[in-house]
Amino acid sequence: MWSDVGVWVAAILTIAVFSLLYRDNPFYRAAEHLLVGVSAGYYLVNNYEASVVRKFVVPVFHQGDLWLVPGGILGLLVLLRLSRRAQWISRYPIAFYVAAWSGYLIPSVLQERILTQIQGTIPPAPWNAAPGALLGALVLFVGVVSILVYFYFSAPHTGILGGVSRVGIVFLMIGFGATFGYTVMGRVSLLIGRFQFLLRDLPASLTGP
Amino acid sequence: MTALGENPARPARGRRLRERLGDVDRRVIFLAVGLAVALPLIFPLRLPVAVSREARAYYDALEQLKPGDEILVSFDYEPETMAELDPMSLATLRHAFRKDLRVIALTNYPGAPGIAQRILGAAAAEAHKEYGVDYVFLGYNPDYSATMLRMGESIRQTFPTDHFGTPADSLPLLRQANSYADTELLVAISSTVMAEYWIIFAGGTFKEKVISANTAIQAVLIYPYFQTGQLSGFLGGLKGAAEYEKLIGREGDGLRGMDAQSMAHLLIVCFIVLGNIGFLLGRRERGREGPGRGPAQATGA
Repeated sequence: MWSDVGVWVAAILTIAVFSLLYRDNPFYRAAEHLLVGVSAGYYLVNNYEASVVRKFVVPVFHQGDLWLVPGGILGLLVLLRLSRRAQWISRYPIAFYVAAWSGYLIPSVLQERILTQIQGTIPPAPWNAAPGALLGALVLFVGVVSILVYFYFSAPHTGILGGVSRVGIVFLMIGFGATFGYTVMGRVSLLIGRFQFLLRDLPASLTGP
Repeated sequence: MTALGENPARPARGRRLRERLGDVDRRVIFLAVGLAVALPLIFPLRLPVAVSREARAYYDALEQLKPGDEILVSFDYEPETMAELDPMSLATLRHAFRKDLRVIALTNYPGAPGIAQRILGAAAAEAHKEYGVDYVFLGYNPDYSATMLRMGESIRQTFPTDHFGTPADSLPLLRQANSYADTELLVAISSTVMAEYWIIFAGGTFKEKVISANTAIQAVLIYPYFQTGQLSGFLGGLKGAAEYEKLIGREGDGLRGMDAQSMAHLLIVCFIVLGNIGFLLGRRERGREGPGRGPAQATGA
């Protein structure tokens, strides 16, 4: 019964949002405001429960884990940003957070996103690779180098530099095209999801199990 | 004014065609896309789906595991991408439970627990799996990077209780699997860069084998990690879901949606071609009329 009501509410809101495709109207705006309000309430309560209650209140006050108190005090100090006179104090917990975050993020990201990716630009012993793989490796190498040359701005892009950077533009355009294609695919998938809901789940709620 | 021997009606006809192509009401395009999506869902065409190397690698990573092995599944998406990622989640869990793998599920997004619970519940009920023994749901933990790093030391300390408040120590599955070292594979089902962070922290720091199921938009960004071997396999968008459903031999929303996806793409390609014809006709027309037209006029808007 209540799940059927949920399906109907979802169907009405879906159609209200789709109505924007014709033109702006009060039904669309009502659905939009409802989404913003419900989302804000949901995330506020969920984050408070997950962060403050489960990570601080329960361990400190119910389990006596006092090691968390300094962290809790630092967290409260961030709220001093709301005070004009005391907002300078909030910089200290933020500085601590940024320093800790950078400390454990930078080495890992540098290794996995930069160094390993650079290593992957040229496969080990490419001369032993199959012809198809070798061609792929060559395209990858030329693409990476020519795009890097395109983003080198300390010399005029003329002569060899200009030619290589033009090759880089071609690779960039192929990349943008692939990104655009995937974006279209993603957006169409979302539309398919809504149509599957309207054409399958909604009639199913009418006919029953 | 026309050149000698040229039919004076031709430029006018060309202009009319260009104007028609340039002035299509956007609502006509919306309606056409809507029909291209809806009709194949009502009247399926059963177009063939080819399996990519990436989807095959994703399937193989799960298929190679032995019954009783533990895997981590992270539901890192929220309702706006359910249409793309729900079919992948469901197919992954069906595959895992069919292989008698034991699943430790979690999420890094506050909006995801409802999604994860629904999918886990449906797949576990189909396969008659028992909560706490065959699968657990740890729920949402704030700060994804700290969560990923701490799970490498102790899952039970990172999640002292599961999503329902049951102490982690009392769940048989978590008594056996307490870190990445105790699990064979991590599946990141992600609509954002979260899959990359799993690769960086779980894969890079703790050497956990990682596969990921991504939205189409994220697939472009995740490709380089597959090429370097940092990612053992991945699915991209609804197409990836369809390929994986085909591999596990169980039709779901991915395969059912592929006809609509193909028809919509075909239509969009037609619109792109027609739009470019209109653009080229306009440019030729401007070339005939010679310089002097401003940029605003020249766009034909």
